[in-house]
Amino acid sequence: MRFTPTELTGPELDLQAEVREFLARELPPGTHEPCLGMAADHDREFSAKMAARGWVGMALPSRWGGSDRTAVQRFIVVEEMLRWGAPVGHHWVADRQTGNVILKFGTDEQRERFLPPICRGELGFSIGMSEPDSGSDLASVSTRAERADDGWVVNGTKIWTSNAHMNDWFICLLRTAPMEDGNKHAGLSQFLIDLSSPGLEISPIPFLDGSHHFNEVTFHDVFVPDINVVGQPGMGWHQNTTEMAYERGGPDRWLSPFSTVEQLLREAAGTPMEDAVSDLFGELAARWWGIRNLSLSVARLIDEGEAPSVESALVKEMGTRYEQEVVEKLVQLIDEEYSPESESLFERLLAQCVVTFPGNTIRGGTIEILRSVASKGLEGLPA
Amino acid sequence: MTATTAPEPVVVDELITETADRLFGELCTHEAVQAAEDSGGAPDIWEAFYETGFDLIAVPEDAGGSGGTLAEAIEVLRLVGYHSAPIPAAENGILGGWLLAEAGLERPDGLVTVVPPRATDGGWSGGGTCSASLNGDGTAVLSGEAHRVPWARSADVIVCVCECDGHSTVVSVPASECTITPLPNMAGEPRDTVSFDGATGRAAPAPDGVDAGTLAQRGALSRVALMAGAIEKMCQLTVSYTNERVQFGRPVARFQAVQQHLVWAAQDAALVRMAAEVAAREATRGDAPFEIAAAKLLANQAAARATKACHQAHGAMGMTQEYPLHHFSRRLWSWRKEYGSDAHWSAVLGDMATGVGADGLYPLITSGTAALA
Repeated sequence: MRFTPTELTGPELDLQAEVREFLARELPPGTHEPCLGMAADHDREFSAKMAARGWVGMALPSRWGGSDRTAVQRFIVVEEMLRWGAPVGHHWVADRQTGNVILKFGTDEQRERFLPPICRGELGFSIGMSEPDSGSDLASVSTRAERADDGWVVNGTKIWTSNAHMNDWFICLLRTAPMEDGNKHAGLSQFLIDLSSPGLEISPIPFLDGSHHFNEVTFHDVFVPDINVVGQPGMGWHQNTTEMAYERGGPDRWLSPFSTVEQLLREAAGTPMEDAVSDLFGELAARWWGIRNLSLSVARLIDEGEAPSVESALVKEMGTRYEQEVVEKLVQLIDEEYSPESESLFERLLAQCVVTFPGNTIRGGTIEILRSVASKGLEGLPA
Repeated sequence: MTATTAPEPVVVDELITETADRLFGELCTHEAVQAAEDSGGAPDIWEAFYETGFDLIAVPEDAGGSGGTLAEAIEVLRLVGYHSAPIPAAENGILGGWLLAEAGLERPDGLVTVVPPRATDGGWSGGGTCSASLNGDGTAVLSGEAHRVPWARSADVIVCVCECDGHSTVVSVPASECTITPLPNMAGEPRDTVSFDGATGRAAPAPDGVDAGTLAQRGALSRVALMAGAIEKMCQLTVSYTNERVQFGRPVARFQAVQQHLVWAAQDAALVRMAAEVAAREATRGDAPFEIAAAKLLANQAAARATKACHQAHGAMGMTQEYPLHHFSRRLWSWRKEYGSDAHWSAVLGDMATGVGADGLYPLITSGTAALA
C-alpha cells in the first residue's frame, strides 16, 4: 500500500478552471437546488451539455466517441460537478463504470452500439447486482439466464435497483450455470438488458422519506439476445469485481455533504460567527484537503497502469464514514429544528443529509465488506 | 484561456531515504530506544546520525549546513519517527539550524536545541516565559524560564526567539550558562526546564518571515513528519501481530471486528504521511500556512484514533514494556500536544476558511495556501 502524493499539472489546472467557469455560467449559486453528491437529479439536458464539452465518458477512446482523457482528468470534472451539486444523475453510472466494462470486456459491436451514445450523455444505466436473498454475499445471486435460440431467457428478481424507472439499460449479474461446490464464483455472467424489454417489470420501493430511487426489477421470461452478453459467459464474477473497483475511492465517496457545508457558510455571511462554527469550517477544510489528496493519488495510480484496489477500498471506507461525520457535526452545531421544507436552503439540505446519508456506507459494498477487502491487502505490509 | 504552468516538482533524493532508514533501522533497536529513555539520551545514535551530515539538511552550506531541501529534511524526520530514534533531529536542524542561519548567527560546535514557542490567544510568543534584553554589542541577557525544551540536558546551545524592542530577535546561549532541570514527556523523551538566570548569549534581529509564528509552523511540520513515521510503524506492528496471534483457531486478523482496527489505522497512516509530504512540498516552495495547519490538525486527530485502534488490536501485549508498541504510541500522545493542539490549529484554519467565504471554500481545499492570496 502506498499513496504517492501528486498534484495537478498545468493542463489539468486549465481543465479545472474550465469546469468551474462552465458551472458558474450554467448553474449560478442561488439559482439551483444543489444535489447531494452522486444521488443527483437526472437531467438529460444537463448531461448533453456536459457531453458536448467532452466530459461524459471522457476517459474512453476517441474511436468509440470518448475523449482519450485520463482518470485524473475525469476526477477533476467529477469533483467539480459534485461539489457544485450538479444534476449528473442521468449519465452517472454509465460514465463511472458501465462504459469501462463495455470497453474492457465487450465486443466491437457492443462498443459501437453503446459507447458513442454513452459519450453523448444519452444512455442512463442501472446496475443489477443485489437480490432479495443476495446482498453482501453477492456470489449467491440466483436470478438465472437459461439458454434459448440466439439468446437467453431470464427469470428472477433484482432489488434496490436505483433509478430503473428512469434509465434505459440495465447491466446485470446473472447465474448461467448452477453454483459449483467449492467455487461459488463460477457460473455467473454479465448481461446488458434493455429496461423496456417485454416481461421486465419495474416496481418502486419507496425510499424512507417517500422519494423514489429504489426499484424491484422482476424478470418474467425476458429474452436477451446473445449479442448482449458482456464478455465470456461464466466470467461474470471477475468482470463484476473489476467493475466494482471503478466504483471506489473517487470524489463521490467523500464530497456528498460539501454543498451543505458551503451553503451554511453562505448563509452565515455578514453575521458574527461563533468560534465553534468557525473552527468547524477549519477542521472540515483540513479533512477534505487530506482525503482529496489520497483520492487524487488513487486516480494518478490508475493512470500509471496500477490497479490500486486496496487503496481505493481504504479511501471509500474512510470517505463515506467521513460524510456521515460531517453531517453529525453540523447537527450538533445547529440549535434550531430543521425540515426538508425549511425556508433556509442549508436547513433543507441538512435535513436531506440526515435522512439519506445512512445509505452512504452501504451502497456499492458495505463498509464491513470493504474492511475485509482492504485488510487482506494489508497483510503484505513490511513490519 | 491562458495555459497554466504548474510549479516545479519537489523531489526527495531516494538515497537519503535509504540511508536514513538503514542507519536508524540498525541503531534504534527496541533495547536501544528503551535504554535511551532510561538514561535520558543516546549519544552514540546522535554521533552516528551526525556523521552522515543528515542532521543539517536544509541548512544552507554557507551557514555550516549540509544543503538539501526542507522536503528532504522532513523525509529524514519521518524516518526518525518511524524508528523512534531518540534524538533531537528537528531541533538541531530545521528549527535551530534554520533560526541561526536566518539571523546570520554563527553556528557553534555541538548540539543545538530550541525553545518551543508558546501558543497564545490566536498567535505564538517566542521564548515561552523568558525574555531577553539587548546589550547593544550583539549580545543579550536572558532572564526567566523556558519550558519543555527538547534534550536541553544534552544540548550545547539553546536557541530562542524573543521580542526585543518590538522586533523578533534570535538569541543563542551556551547551555552551560543555564540551569537545566530534567523533565520527561510521556514517552520519556527529555523536555527540560531551562532557567536562564541572566545568561548572556549572542543576539541578532530576525529577518522578515522569521518569528515565533513561523518557528511554530516549522515545528508543527516537524511533528507531523515524526508522527507520520510513528503511525506507519505502529500500523505495521499491528498488522503483523494480528496475523500471527491465533485465537479461536485462526489469526485474530481474520475477525471482522479486528479488521476494523487494522483498516482505520492504515487509513490514518496513509492520511498523515500524505499530509506530511504535501505540506513539506508546499513549505519547500514557500509559505504554507494552510497546509501545515491542516497537516498538524489531521496528525493530531489521527494519533488519537490510531493509537486507540492499534492498542485494542494488540490486547494486553501492547500494554507491556517488553513489546515495542509503546515506543510509538507514547511518542504520538506527546507529539500530539507539541506545536499546536487540535483547538489551536482548528481556530487558525477556521479563520482561513471563513475568510475566503463560501465561494472560496472549495478552491481553498484544492489549492491550499495559494487560494488565500
